[in-house]
Amino acid sequence: MPAKKKATKRPTPKKATRASSKRSAAPKSAAPSLADALAEAAWEEADRALAEALVECDALSAATTKKQRDNAMTLLTQALSRAARKRGLSRISELDASEKYDPQRHELAGPVAKMPRNVRIAARGVVRGMDVLAKSRAAPVVRKARKKSG
Amino acid sequence: MSDWTLCIDFGTAFSKAVVVPTGAWSRFDPARVRPLRLGAHDGRGNAFLLDSAVFVDADRILFGRSAIARADALGSKRAALKSFKTLLSVSDLDRALNTNAPLSIDPHRIFQMRDLIVLYLAYLLAAIEKARSLDSAITGRIARRYAAPAWRGGDSAGLHGTVVKLFGEAEAMRARMGDALLSEAGLDINTVTRELPGALERAQPLDMGLIYEATAAAAYTSIGLDDNASHLLVVDMGAGTTDIAALARIGTRMFELPEARSTLKQAGDFIDRVIANRALDAAKWAKTTEQKADLWAHLMRDMRETKETLFAEGQVSVRYRDKMFMMSARDVEKDSDFKAFAKELKAAYEHCVAVVRDDAAARGRTSVEAVAVGGGASAPFIQALIASKNTRGSRPHVTPRPATPKWAHAPEFRGNLAPVFPQLAIAIGGALAPDGMLAAKGTFSPVADVRSGSQAVRD
Repeated sequence: MPAKKKATKRPTPKKATRASSKRSAAPKSAAPSLADALAEAAWEEADRALAEALVECDALSAATTKKQRDNAMTLLTQALSRAARKRGLSRISELDASEKYDPQRHELAGPVAKMPRNVRIAARGVVRGMDVLAKSRAAPVVRKARKKSG
Repeated sequence: MSDWTLCIDFGTAFSKAVVVPTGAWSRFDPARVRPLRLGAHDGRGNAFLLDSAVFVDADRILFGRSAIARADALGSKRAALKSFKTLLSVSDLDRALNTNAPLSIDPHRIFQMRDLIVLYLAYLLAAIEKARSLDSAITGRIARRYAAPAWRGGDSAGLHGTVVKLFGEAEAMRARMGDALLSEAGLDINTVTRELPGALERAQPLDMGLIYEATAAAAYTSIGLDDNASHLLVVDMGAGTTDIAALARIGTRMFELPEARSTLKQAGDFIDRVIANRALDAAKWAKTTEQKADLWAHLMRDMRETKETLFAEGQVSVRYRDKMFMMSARDVEKDSDFKAFAKELKAAYEHCVAVVRDDAAARGRTSVEAVAVGGGASAPFIQALIASKNTRGSRPHVTPRPATPKWAHAPEFRGNLAPVFPQLAIAIGGALAPDGMLAAKGTFSPVADVRSGSQAVRD
């Protein structure tokens, strides 16, 4: 018989915040187990990438030259990005881009007197489907004061 | 009437199977799409994928991941039989099936290719039955169908007859061997040689429908949409072949435009070799044959991840011992073999576009869509191809569709279907498609009857 894999409890993915589908007439009793199985499959794909990332963390800590550090950082970022993709995560916004401020998608770097109209992206956020898992870190865009004419 | 429809995607690298309620096409509910955990009995890797591999060992026959692991452990002297789906594309299929398996695959010289494929299909059917029993939602009668490329066009009826016969023989073997097929230790060769002839002799063709892979892609792409186009171009880059097909929908009927169809022999396996060759060229430090062979083996072992990153990010870094090297998509595109493939692919696609446009214009239709499917769907050059501007500026324009449809992000799946959707897509589309889209129709088979080995009942 095949060796049974040790059961590993995965963190249950957060439920979607969107309103449930209008097409909900069909029984959903078995759906959670399928969603969990799909999540498990995605985790299987992501596990190896996460393991590689951990190895590169050590390589980064032990690096003594800039080249070693750069290599480890490149491979660490690559492994984490791959794990994220396997779990269906994707980035939102572009670094240094200016966007209309949306409190659902942007986290301001510091306290502000009033809500900004536009923000500049300092660190990209992460979504899965419609769910924002981590907001983009952003700073308010300060509009230049108009010079008085005459 | 059946209660459920099962579609098997007998893939080059992996097999997949999905079950949906019968009539899902007209009453679509994403929550009721049920991919089967074919690999659940194994406990290793992605539970929804079953490795397409058979390994003939000294005294056992191993299947799936066990076959691949054993072949890897023995090194280059022995090989598992893989990618045997491509065998189905040869012009004289019966002759190919009756050929002896190569010595590297069967050192005993006792099996023909047909035997090994039947044994693998028996393993696949056993895995399907096991997976179905794990999903309590699936009860009642199940109609079966399988997805296949439209490789041989005019001879498709002949291919279907051979395939359902192979599946019938496999079902007979499954009935004899039962869950032993799913054992990590595989089957005893003496038992197989004793049981197989009897199973083949009494087997009846399995009652299954056939759906072309391109049609399956059209089904999952357009289901639930009110604004889908009348014509769809499908670029399917798998492991063994790249297939381009065109479909037209008139009312509820969907049919293929056979003159648009093209099959290229270069696909994912070819891209793997291009990437590995470029890496070898760049690795100036690898001078000896031994060093090159070791680097090649290292690259091929991790090729799936390497390719995924290269496609997603446009570049990839690879660590090999104390060395690291980076490769970009542009490096691959500079390869002379790749250039020849890209040129051929572009020509085939443009031919397909022209055929579709002519057909759409003749029917007074104004919209054509394109979708990429298969393992290579996310490749930048494939995405660029389907997003390319119309070469001759004529109408109707071709609009690209996403490889993963919006419904795969339905809340019921909690974000977990979309990451694995591309791998399951053909089986999902094949199960969802209405009977009118089938290339050959099957009928339903009560699950209990299948289990007892009795024949399926015609609707």
